[in-house]
Amino acid sequence: MKVTIDNQEIYVKEGITILDAAQEHNIYIPHLCSHLELSPYGGCRLCIIEVEGMKGYPTACTTKVEDKMVIRTHTKTLQQMRREILQLILSEHPSACLICDEQEECSSFQQTIRKVGATTGCRWCPKDGDCELQKVVDYLEIDKITFPVYYRQLPIENHEPFYDRDYNLCIYCARCVRICEEHRKSSVISLRQRGRFSTIGPAFNMSHIDAGCEFCGACVSVCPTGALSEKGRKWGGIPDSYNASICPLCDLNCDIQVLMKKGKVIGTLPPGDPHQSGGELCVKGRFCLTHIINSPDRLKEPEYLFDEGIGIVSWDEAVKQAGKMLKDVNGKRVAVYLSPNLTLEEILAAKLFFKDIINTSNITSSILNSNLISYISLSEESISLKEIEKSDCIISVFLNGNYNYAPLTLSIKQKAEKGTPYFQIGWIKDTTSRYAYQQIIPFPGREKTFFNKIAQSIENADNSSPEIKELVKKIKISSNPIFILGPDIMGLTEADGILKIIKKIITLTGSKIFLTNPYSNLIGLLSLIDTKSNEEINELISQKKIDLLYIIGDNPFQKRPPVNSIICQSPFPAPDYLNADLALPSAMWGEISGSFADIKGNIKKFKAVTNPPGKAIQNNEIFDRINKEIGKKDIKFTYKGISKLIPKKLEMRFPFVKRKPLKAKISPPNTSFPLLLIQEKNPHIFYNISLSNNIRDMREIVTEDAIIMNPTDALKMEIQNGDSIFVKSDIYEKIYPIIVRKIIPQNFLLLITSSRTFDFNPNPCPVHIRRNNV
Amino acid sequence: MSREEILKTYDQTSDNLLAILHDIQDNKDEHYLTREDLKKVSDYLDLTYGFVHGVATFYSMFSLKPRGKNIIRVCQSPPCHLMGSTTISKELIKILGIKFGETTKDGLFTLEMTSCLGVCGVAPAIMINDQVYGNLNKQRLYEVIEEKRRVK
Repeated sequence: MKVTIDNQEIYVKEGITILDAAQEHNIYIPHLCSHLELSPYGGCRLCIIEVEGMKGYPTACTTKVEDKMVIRTHTKTLQQMRREILQLILSEHPSACLICDEQEECSSFQQTIRKVGATTGCRWCPKDGDCELQKVVDYLEIDKITFPVYYRQLPIENHEPFYDRDYNLCIYCARCVRICEEHRKSSVISLRQRGRFSTIGPAFNMSHIDAGCEFCGACVSVCPTGALSEKGRKWGGIPDSYNASICPLCDLNCDIQVLMKKGKVIGTLPPGDPHQSGGELCVKGRFCLTHIINSPDRLKEPEYLFDEGIGIVSWDEAVKQAGKMLKDVNGKRVAVYLSPNLTLEEILAAKLFFKDIINTSNITSSILNSNLISYISLSEESISLKEIEKSDCIISVFLNGNYNYAPLTLSIKQKAEKGTPYFQIGWIKDTTSRYAYQQIIPFPGREKTFFNKIAQSIENADNSSPEIKELVKKIKISSNPIFILGPDIMGLTEADGILKIIKKIITLTGSKIFLTNPYSNLIGLLSLIDTKSNEEINELISQKKIDLLYIIGDNPFQKRPPVNSIICQSPFPAPDYLNADLALPSAMWGEISGSFADIKGNIKKFKAVTNPPGKAIQNNEIFDRINKEIGKKDIKFTYKGISKLIPKKLEMRFPFVKRKPLKAKISPPNTSFPLLLIQEKNPHIFYNISLSNNIRDMREIVTEDAIIMNPTDALKMEIQNGDSIFVKSDIYEKIYPIIVRKIIPQNFLLLITSSRTFDFNPNPCPVHIRRNNV
Repeated sequence: MSREEILKTYDQTSDNLLAILHDIQDNKDEHYLTREDLKKVSDYLDLTYGFVHGVATFYSMFSLKPRGKNIIRVCQSPPCHLMGSTTISKELIKILGIKFGETTKDGLFTLEMTSCLGVCGVAPAIMINDQVYGNLNKQRLYEVIEEKRRVK
């Protein structure tokens, strides 16, 4: 249809708003509350326009285009009215950066005749220079505010993780409230009170963590002012460049853009316009990546364990020592641990190096245990993320979507909101729970029986519980049911049995499956190398059949194993207890180009954006140097040479595992052990470090080695946040701090462990607790 | 009726939010909503706590603080203002000994402002709970308050 905007005839689609039509044709209409990803709001009133034949001044963001409309966007009256409106907005917004006479001269630091410089500037807003409000003020040429100005004096909220909130700068466009509700479907924050008492935040000033915030950063991205700012790059200024990359923190490998300044990574955002891109990422991709790559804990120089202790050595010396260790040893007595975060190129180089040059076949990863293999071998029926859109019944099994798998939980929530039945099987209340048609908690301690009952109920309708009947009924009537499995299932003692039953259920119902795992390139690792299981290598080590351990970015041990020497090659230092003989600093994501494989075997490439810190070099270069030192074969390990060798299509090969019969007896809670303790390995692991351990803010939301308890239980037992409690099962006892949170139902306790093995057996384990000081 | 009984009379759709909040509030002598109420309503309707809190604080007919048995709302719109609502307000403050937004110590009266009550013909007007009193002067106002005091 044809419309005329400012004497310019344009052709636009039907049903779009005037603001969208103008933006499509590069006609600027000032606006502050309107946002591409959000529905029209009409809050700021800056986009008022004149339409011939229409009374008054409608807002462009809420008025739809009509055929032969004649629109004027920049008349004198409109500009004058906009100035008035903007001045009203500015009367409650600190305006030193906007209309001060001396704003050009106002440098943040000036030399004085005294011995020290003085800070004279009052332009202290983190968004200064990159602010939408500033742009509108410039556009409307406002040089003074005629209304009395008012400072709200709200306290600055900087006590919560990842972003600071200064609502004195807020203009109440409600973009943050709306993106949380419309896009993330979380509704954690809302506009409270009305008029000049309005504030933004969770109900009753409770903390964002308690209110169920996922810290996706969508609100920070869309804020037009400096009210919401990332702690990490609050004072970082405007980035020099935005580089496309992918996130290495789980197997979804989301597309991201990396914000660079002076060669350093200062932030990460979802792809698209940095001011418009909303919450497609989880907290890890949005905030943690920057922290990890810039971590002060990074290993920057090669370290060698001398008789006197650890000392920094040059690369030549380190390579010489590595060569010496590797030359002396028989290939069969070398064991290699690879991280599932390595790129395909690095894995292939490791394969060439260890199989062809060192002649060892003892290659494994600390995560390759029997449960993981049963889990990942379900992937034959797996589907890609996009296909969830086509399903008509979604069942999630032990999926913990808090702070994880954002694209997945978003599509679950979107589907469930449109009416697709969504069943959540598991204990944990996550971001999707509110949308669940039903959350089914298996009878504590009888998880395997629960899944068995579902299978039986599908085969022949029997007298199972009403919720299982409902679930089975819904699966049977749907043509395309999808099971989404969470990695928490791998930690259960009965995992193997449960996974077998799930496989049976899937074949019986013709369902599809979506597997999540927290490792970015596990599929690539299993496809490129013939690995052995972790158990098998551990047995070799305990039988003293291994002399040398070569650990690349992995962290498989809790104490030093009985071997002669250990070489650690990682972006992060090896743990102290390992007493590694040689630590070689390697480059990580962002500093290398490479590729990851997804569950369907498709390869996703990404490019380096910065240089490794200190003397760290790429893994491939380390192999190259050591190879030259040993001087066995003329193989090139460089990225270019290796990337040609990667097969187009990847297929997984699973290591052989010997399954031992279950020793632990699983029992439900009883009167002496009334609570069920669920143990979960911290899934937020990158190379050999845990994100919770290395990033302070992450530690606040995912606390390791602390018991999470339901508030109702805590109230009953008079336990408070931070108390220390004594957890006792029939064979083991330990003291833990308590965190009271709603993510776990009553009569359950959740323990996220930093170690790879669980203290309490079996898992889940019936326990009883008491206060430590009683 | 208890909160749970009230909830059961409504369907679990978010359109019922305002009606439910009104119903729960009116069923209490103190005319207010507790945190627990908002929590239970948000769980019942599958809304978030934050969303329900936002709604309950936006509308001035809801209160999160305990209020008196009789809620006096004084009209603040221009017709009433011209006919002397300021005198009515001052008189009420004097009679009850409280300011706007406060509750008397005996828990009988809460004083609030309101926008137009739609009875400009009988300005100045006040509303006590559901009932409107118009054509007020000092004498009439005194009678009305005394009557409410007597009922208890």
